Amino acid sequence: MDDFEKVLDEARDEGPAVKTQDDPNGRPWTWEEDGFTVIRSNARSGPGCHENCGVLMYVKDGVLEKIEGDPDNPFNQGRLCPRCLAFKEMLYHEDRLKYPLKRKKEDRGKNTFERISWDEAYDIIEREMKAVIDKYGARSIWVTQGTGRDINGYGPLMAQYFGTPNYGTGFLSGQACYAPRMFSTSFKSGGLFVCDYSQFFPDRYDDPRWEAPEYALIWGNNPVVANSDGMLGHWIVECMKRGTKLMVMDPMLTWMAGKADVFIQLRPGTDAALAIAMAHQIIEDGLQDQEFVEKWCYGFEEFKEHVKQFPPSWAAEICGVDEDLIIEAARKLGKAKSACLQWGVAMDHTSEGFVTGMACYDLMALTGNFEKPGTMLAARPAFGVSVTWLPSVDVWNGCTPPVDETETMNGDYPALKAIAAISPDMLLTAMETGEPYPIKAMFMMQNNAIACMGAAPQRILPALQSMEFNVCVDLFMTPTVLACADVVLPAACFAERIGITGHQPYALGSIAQAIEPLGECKSDQRIIYEVGERFVDESYKQWDDEQGMYDFLLRRAGMTYDELRDRTWAYPEFEYNKHEKGLLRADGEPGFATATGLYNFVCIEMPYFGLSPLPVYEEPLESPVSRPDLAEKYPLVLTSGMRPWGFFHSEHRQSASMRALHPMPTVRMHPETAERFGIAEGDKVRIENNFGSCVQTAHLTTRLRKDTVSADHAWWFPERGADDGTLFGVMEVNINQLVPMRPGKVGLGASYKSQLCSVSKVEE
Amino acid sequence: MKQKILIDYGYCSGCHTCEVACQQEHGLAPDQFGIKLTQIGPDQIAPRRWQYEFVPIPTDRCDLCAHRQAEGKRPSCELHCQAGCIRIGTLDELADDLRKDKVALFG
Repeated sequence: MDDFEKVLDEARDEGPAVKTQDDPNGRPWTWEEDGFTVIRSNARSGPGCHENCGVLMYVKDGVLEKIEGDPDNPFNQGRLCPRCLAFKEMLYHEDRLKYPLKRKKEDRGKNTFERISWDEAYDIIEREMKAVIDKYGARSIWVTQGTGRDINGYGPLMAQYFGTPNYGTGFLSGQACYAPRMFSTSFKSGGLFVCDYSQFFPDRYDDPRWEAPEYALIWGNNPVVANSDGMLGHWIVECMKRGTKLMVMDPMLTWMAGKADVFIQLRPGTDAALAIAMAHQIIEDGLQDQEFVEKWCYGFEEFKEHVKQFPPSWAAEICGVDEDLIIEAARKLGKAKSACLQWGVAMDHTSEGFVTGMACYDLMALTGNFEKPGTMLAARPAFGVSVTWLPSVDVWNGCTPPVDETETMNGDYPALKAIAAISPDMLLTAMETGEPYPIKAMFMMQNNAIACMGAAPQRILPALQSMEFNVCVDLFMTPTVLACADVVLPAACFAERIGITGHQPYALGSIAQAIEPLGECKSDQRIIYEVGERFVDESYKQWDDEQGMYDFLLRRAGMTYDELRDRTWAYPEFEYNKHEKGLLRADGEPGFATATGLYNFVCIEMPYFGLSPLPVYEEPLESPVSRPDLAEKYPLVLTSGMRPWGFFHSEHRQSASMRALHPMPTVRMHPETAERFGIAEGDKVRIENNFGSCVQTAHLTTRLRKDTVSADHAWWFPERGADDGTLFGVMEVNINQLVPMRPGKVGLGASYKSQLCSVSKVEE
Repeated sequence: MKQKILIDYGYCSGCHTCEVACQQEHGLAPDQFGIKLTQIGPDQIAPRRWQYEFVPIPTDRCDLCAHRQAEGKRPSCELHCQAGCIRIGTLDELADDLRKDKVALFG
């Protein structure tokens, strides 16, 4: 155990404590204004999302009266999306969970919860979890997280306290969100790289070092709506104003697709074929960045030979798009001064999503679009504070006894083993069968699995209800909480707690507390360490309160929480061309942080995981091509999970303003497709396939391919109340009943965006 | 001089921020609007050319956030617009933007 005061002092001794690009002088974190106390903060969720927008919270008599975008914050420059503007509708909603609750095990699914004290809640958790540990071992506890609410870095500590290696996203088949892209980029380039929209500079678009990308490839992503993974989609709109052109690859005409120089409206799940064919054409035309591929890449000659087999004509047939369009896209990318890849979760949402990401990423290396202005930039935790994003393995060292990672539920998948990640798919099977070892208790944080990310919820619901003990931590009574929780712990929103920003590599910031928590809510972080104290002895205690925990986490950055809060944000120094300057590798040598020191066109690790070392296209397991037999009965391609304005996954359904933007679960289809199946606008439609069915409301739009329908995910109806026995109607409308819990070959990626289905009007 | 509302609608993504910012600022219900988004298309004008655009239109409920402007603050829709495509000012102040391709002027 290190003495963190000492580490902090040492960091300070090394010079002016923290070198930053921004000057915090004249930037107060709180002030009085017209009878309000104003608190400057970063809206690191919950409720929602993946962002850290700067906000000003106006408080009077302890009540948050108003929230606005902070014009001075470089991240959002005063702009704010509808969810945050209407934040009060969630914060002060009458349905907020405000007190710990318990319920008898035999009453799971029924609204018979009883208010209890925190002490009683912790007593029950201690008693029940210790009983599971005694009987089955700590590994039989699965600690899960959803996405969004500030949890990625802290959730692992909860699992460590219990002593279980099983921590991760709850019931997201194949960890099919970001994880496949993270892992593929680590093999390819030694870590994640993100597009350069000037977000590494506090003066943003005005920084003289920055140039807008000539092309942004918007691939399987609708960034202005999705705002995924710490990037704000509207940064791209600012780039468009400054000359950036778009290439959009999407089955749906998005707003950006309508503005694109090249729009490739491909069949869902065929992206890898398109990427490989574009590589073919770029090399055929000699448009690759020869200097970059010779100096900084491994296996280019093999890659070149490999992609020779896959011309645009081949991909055109597979993707259902014009060959000429693929050639044009390849040539424009090859000739561009700069380009970047804005990829979305669609990459991960095919069963071989792992490979899809790799194939698209190779286009960036082929054209040398790394570490120059307007290209792909290394994304690493600001000031080395990894807890804000992807916690490094040692973040919580000293806070618990070590956990045996060899026990992690991933034995079927060497790739998951290599990175000590769980297989949610194996865990669900283990809950059902007890094999390879039993899972008997769940600790679920912000994880509404049966409504949102869980594939095959018709399997997950009974599996959760068969557990010996379940704890849920959440803001609201969700279908998942109602279905399975024995103890419910009420979580605080961002205005009710302190914290630090996360999920992005540009800056570090503070979450400042504006109001007292409603009822007896506590932050997720405090809940974690308070529960944890029941499971480890006093010698592991590193802090006394939340501020102490953040001081502990910030110690290596040379900051305390108070110092960070006083400035609200801190931008570390930034340089381009890090691979040339020896700034990417631990040994300080030039190159990428891979085993070869280079960007890997050939990934020598892949055969070990049963994959080709070079990108190959595989048809989705259910498609008109791979399963013509199935397509006879289910003739349409089903894609799901399109992001709507106003909602973050299964959140915000109870926010009146957000619900008005998107009132009902919606399945979109082309008017000609609708006519073929006798469906009119607003009809209730049964969507059905070999896995299951659900009912959503039809919306007819020419934006979609004629062979594809696009269905909403994550719906439930909080307005129904908890007493009608339908779990807020979740199973009536949950599209994931048509998606199997079945990962790709390496255990990563799943078929959320590429199924077959039929549609039929429901007669009312 | 009277202020006008300029929408640089070539960049409006249809995100509804202006609507919600206005509702929150003025205490309007979700079905009451001081500015309302309208949609053009999607219309495929030519094989490679679509028009799929949005234009927010201010309503008679809009008072240009007089109380905010009196405090030296920008109107809420202009401040929060995620695409940065709303500008409020006098014709003189807006003159440069009026020369752009796709702009609409209200007020």
